Amino acid sequence: MNFAIKLLTSTRFAVAVIGLIILVSVVGTLYPGGDVVFGSPWFLALIGVLAVSAALCSLTRIVPLWRDLRRPQVEVSDHFMQALPYSVRLSGVTLTQVRDSLKGYAIRETMTESTTFLLAQKGRVGRFGPHIAHFGVLILLLGVAIGAAYGNANPYNNKIAVIPEGSSLQVDGFALRLDDFSLSYYNNGAVRDYTATVTVLDGNLVQTSNVTVNGPLTYKGLTFYLYGYGVTESGNAWVAFQIKSASGVSFVWVGAAITLVGIMLSLYVPHKRIWIKESGQSTQLGAISNKSSARFFREIEGVRAKLESRAHLDHM
Amino acid sequence: MDAAALEHLGFEIALGTYLISSVLFVLYFSIKKRRLAEMGFTLALFGFAFQTLALATRWLYAGYPPWISTYEVISFFAWAAVGGYLILNFKSDYKSAGVLILPLAFVLLGFASMQPTNPAPLIPALQSVWIFIHVPIIILSYCAFVIAFAASMLYLFKDKQLSEAGITEGLNRKSDEGSRDTPPSGTPESTGTLANFSLEQLDDLAYKSVAVGFPLLTIGIITGAIWAESAWGSYWSWDPIETWALITWFVFLIYLHAKTQNWSASLAAYIAAFGFLSAICTFLGVGYVLPFLQTYVSVSTGLHGYAGGGAISGTVLFCGILGAVLVLLFATRKKPPNATRAPPARTDAESEPTP
Repeated sequence: MNFAIKLLTSTRFAVAVIGLIILVSVVGTLYPGGDVVFGSPWFLALIGVLAVSAALCSLTRIVPLWRDLRRPQVEVSDHFMQALPYSVRLSGVTLTQVRDSLKGYAIRETMTESTTFLLAQKGRVGRFGPHIAHFGVLILLLGVAIGAAYGNANPYNNKIAVIPEGSSLQVDGFALRLDDFSLSYYNNGAVRDYTATVTVLDGNLVQTSNVTVNGPLTYKGLTFYLYGYGVTESGNAWVAFQIKSASGVSFVWVGAAITLVGIMLSLYVPHKRIWIKESGQSTQLGAISNKSSARFFREIEGVRAKLESRAHLDHM
Repeated sequence: MDAAALEHLGFEIALGTYLISSVLFVLYFSIKKRRLAEMGFTLALFGFAFQTLALATRWLYAGYPPWISTYEVISFFAWAAVGGYLILNFKSDYKSAGVLILPLAFVLLGFASMQPTNPAPLIPALQSVWIFIHVPIIILSYCAFVIAFAASMLYLFKDKQLSEAGITEGLNRKSDEGSRDTPPSGTPESTGTLANFSLEQLDDLAYKSVAVGFPLLTIGIITGAIWAESAWGSYWSWDPIETWALITWFVFLIYLHAKTQNWSASLAAYIAAFGFLSAICTFLGVGYVLPFLQTYVSVSTGLHGYAGGGAISGTVLFCGILGAVLVLLFATRKKPPNATRAPPARTDAESEPTP
């Protein structure tokens, strides 16, 4: 069990599964008709394993991460300070001066008999980005699953309904009447758009709307898409509508939005940390960021240069 | 002169300029005269201006944005790639990347010139507000991936050069302190063309490009799904273009995970290169497949067309060969002992020092 969790939560394993999905997908697009693999149980199983892996990855990491961010280690060893990618000894600058010139940082301080420690943090929310993204993907997949389970169970799903002009179609508790069908043209005679004017008749409710190629009609969980049209021998127009069940679709959009937010947080919000350790006359400063740090270190360098030159002036 | 002729002229000048610029960059890499790169860059700027003129003219007289037909999409992609390259050189000096970008732009424009250029009125399925959002976002993401590809390839070139020169201290090689401020002195002659940037800068540039491209691709795929949902009732139907966009997304997902794990920087460079190839497959797939749309009669036609199953195979084959070449390069490279670690400056929870 422990081994299984270790395997499922490891990044190497997740990357291997993604690699497999990529391979299968490439093969699936190479052959005409190869897209049957995307509906096959073992392809779905691969996606399932990836979902479980993402879920477990976040579940096992989010609690330690939360704890680490809520109660960070403020008191750190000299060895730790020196091991940080940015580490300097400040000359003539006190901890308080640095603290006052750091803008927008959450600050914590602790004191021992001889030493004062300070930890300044910014962008902690960025650390949750990957987990938010994982969660979003799971919601999205849930939507897909709901669509597969309930959408396909709906007897009207994926049906094509042909309605002659003036007639109506009885669906799940309401009727859809085709009032009018028209085409609009460009100057050169090409079709600009197709418009079907339909009315929903549901008890006392009578609601007329236009259905176009990019503008379907959704009513009571069913969506009607313009699918085709024709003219009968008697000169009467008919329109074919494709009916789709909208089950789970909102989950897909919400999941996609959460995923996007998670991705942006993890890519654009670096978690910056600055430690300062002051004992007697010596002040040490160390910093680390979980993203590319050049600009962050330049920023600290700027603060430090300003404070040190001021200290230097004061001494003269 | 009428608008179409003006557009054509701008296009032809850009095509010619990109060709000359490509030649200059290739020459620069063989005889290493800095002036050649400067000239190549100036020409790229010149060609870009003319292509901008051509695209703007077309937008004005066709009445819809220039990213619908195969000809338009491919030219627009070339334009965006060169634009990205120029912006990249605005603040830092990555002119050498022109050796990859300009030939790419030239080939794309050459390919576009073989397509029918007459603007056709928008078919109903393409008349959606999403066409203003979905297409340019996707193209911009590919443009970011082009930059990531160029940075990654330069990284691999430079890594190889340094290994051959016997410099093996890893990513922050002591003798490799090239930057735009300090002209390198004492570096081997062979590194001259790549001396303006360090391995670390290239790795960082590739990462930043992916950090721009990946969210854009995500937005592109989502907007595509929304559009598909509203146009033909299914947010996802595994058509070849959708599938390849997802493959590209997955490849860069691996890249980003590799980065958080501090896996070797050259491995990341290969992944980014693969991601770019995958993007090209997706993109040329769209280019090949879109023309089939014009022959559709059903009103709810697929936006990428379903007739493309066969057409995409040629592109896939081409990219497959390129990919295989990369794999071979990777497998046969000489790995210097304990070299090519990711920069220590970027760490994550699992690899930082513990208090």
